[in-house]
Amino acid sequence: MPVELVELEGHIIDSLIFAKVLDVILAAGGDYRVVDVEIGKTNTDVSTARLEVSAPDDAALASLLEALQVHGANRVTVVDATLEPCAGDGVLPAAFYSTTNLPTQVRVGERWVDVENAEMDCALVVDDDGRAHTVPMHRVRRGDRVVVGGDGVRVQAPERPRGANPFEFMASEVSSEKPKGLLVAEVAARIRRARAGGGRLLAVTGPAVVHTGAAPDLARLVREGWVDVLFSGNGFATHDIESNVLGTSLGVSIREGVPTEGGHANHLRVINEVRRRGSIAAAVEDGFVRGGVMYECVKRRVPFVLGGSLRDDGPLPDVITDVVAAADAMRALVPGVTVALMLASTLHAIATGNLLPAGVETYCVDINQAVVTKLADRGSHQALGIVTDVGLFLRELAAALCP
Amino acid sequence: MRLDWGRRYLMCPPEHFGVLYEINPWMHREVPVDLDRARDEWERLRATVESAGAHVEVLDPRPGLPDLVFTANAGLVEGDRFVPSRFRHPQRQPEVAHDAAWFSSHGFVITPLPEDVHHEGAGDALPFGGVLLSGYRFRSDAASHTVLSKLLGLPVRSLELVDPRLYHLDLTFCPLDDRRAIVAPSGWDAYGRQVVEALVPEPLVLDDDEALSFCANSVVVGTTVIMPVCPARVGRLLEGWGFEVVESPVDEFLKAGGGCRCLTLALDVRLA
Repeated sequence: MPVELVELEGHIIDSLIFAKVLDVILAAGGDYRVVDVEIGKTNTDVSTARLEVSAPDDAALASLLEALQVHGANRVTVVDATLEPCAGDGVLPAAFYSTTNLPTQVRVGERWVDVENAEMDCALVVDDDGRAHTVPMHRVRRGDRVVVGGDGVRVQAPERPRGANPFEFMASEVSSEKPKGLLVAEVAARIRRARAGGGRLLAVTGPAVVHTGAAPDLARLVREGWVDVLFSGNGFATHDIESNVLGTSLGVSIREGVPTEGGHANHLRVINEVRRRGSIAAAVEDGFVRGGVMYECVKRRVPFVLGGSLRDDGPLPDVITDVVAAADAMRALVPGVTVALMLASTLHAIATGNLLPAGVETYCVDINQAVVTKLADRGSHQALGIVTDVGLFLRELAAALCP
Repeated sequence: MRLDWGRRYLMCPPEHFGVLYEINPWMHREVPVDLDRARDEWERLRATVESAGAHVEVLDPRPGLPDLVFTANAGLVEGDRFVPSRFRHPQRQPEVAHDAAWFSSHGFVITPLPEDVHHEGAGDALPFGGVLLSGYRFRSDAASHTVLSKLLGLPVRSLELVDPRLYHLDLTFCPLDDRRAIVAPSGWDAYGRQVVEALVPEPLVLDDDEALSFCANSVVVGTTVIMPVCPARVGRLLEGWGFEVVESPVDEFLKAGGGCRCLTLALDVRLA
């Protein structure tokens, strides 16, 4: 809903103008939030009130503002955002506005323009046609017009629904002492709802998904169409393939839970064979990989990004070793995502959290409470932490979604 | 207690009066004004005001300014300060310089309103109960009330006018003394009615027909209430309160939407 700030000044309490203005807003189908009210102390002091007025659309808001003006409620004059061109590629003006992951608007040409892709720690670039979007520092180009300072930028604070249910209050709530079955059922219900609304589900996975024996459950979720995007690293993909080709995860038998003879090199051999074939997709095509999460992703054409890190063995040919390029590849797959599952992953979860708008429902499942807290501390306040074994979580989630 | 103002008035003779344009529902250019009758009515009103005990000052008429006769709209007097009106309609805007010149030459301090608000002086602002009651919508802006309040250091109560036939506050409200006033609630919205209800302990409430006879547009000098024509019920109530009603017909001026009060501007108002 479009919003404007209006100010009302005068003997607005005694003249009942304040009450009238609120009534006029509601009668017109609009809504308001009282930003502040200052009541005059003496008979002659004027009172002031500032209201955020909203209406269903721009036209309704314009006619409502016109109606309010009659009663002395005037739009608070807001200046346009200050724009400054980048002097060079990949370098922002010194005073650039640094974004949050919250819904943001920029004042351009005396209009509030929605920022198209909320992402934290970016710059705001305004195109020649007046559209505004976030751009990470390394992607700006010389001459891009970047918002500097805070004038003409407003951020919509996250709504704080009232309620005791942690799902109604998604504010870095960590659930180490809550009944897990209920939480999983609620996550499943939310995924169904998001899917019904056309939203996409992103899974971010760590190697523990495979170590705990949960990969078949995740593979089932992929196979049955519940996962739309996968972000992970070399470790997860390697162990997923290793477990399907050799039955071990990092050399440990998935079935028996004991180290196998020479198993410490199993993952290297698997990586080597995939490298021989050129890509995971090629390894699936020629029958080297016959099951697992990566197999299902290839078969179902679920896009995935494997971001590399310093300690990676191999790596697999699909791993993007340039971290900036990896983040860009992830960024390109974020639009449309409405639910994110962070599954036993610390680094990729935080990296993904950095890219997601605050409106994405994010569930961080980890046995370690510190991971959940860390994600929230990095600014992904919307994340709901579920402290539990990822294997148990995925088994129950798959059972709930793929009966 | 009687009003502590209303003993000194400014009036402007109707030498150049006429309905030359239409800026309220009463004005019709095709209805001719009888200037001789207008002069007689004006002289009679002046004599009535003076015989009630008030002093009348005269503003020189000007050709091309037909509504200059309605001195109530010249501006707002507060002690020795004069706030010239900012007229809504361009037809009346040239009156301002002439009005301000008179007040300036008669010892008033001119306190102008900013250019971005409209306010039509005593036509839309009357003192009662220690506050300035001011109308808005047709001629004055609600925003002008805040400016006036700050400019003069006065509490202002805003009233939204809703009947275009009663386009100025002084067609709907007439202070009689410190507790009583003639009121025409049909001219206000529901909030305005509540504001007046809280402000006026003993209102004389007019019905629609009474309001449209312009009897709220009266000049009050002590216990004398001067109005164009007095509905019988209103007359009885006023007499019951100890007022004497004097009818002073102003039919020619009603053709332009103005009554007795509109033809006078009290020069002795002091609120602050």
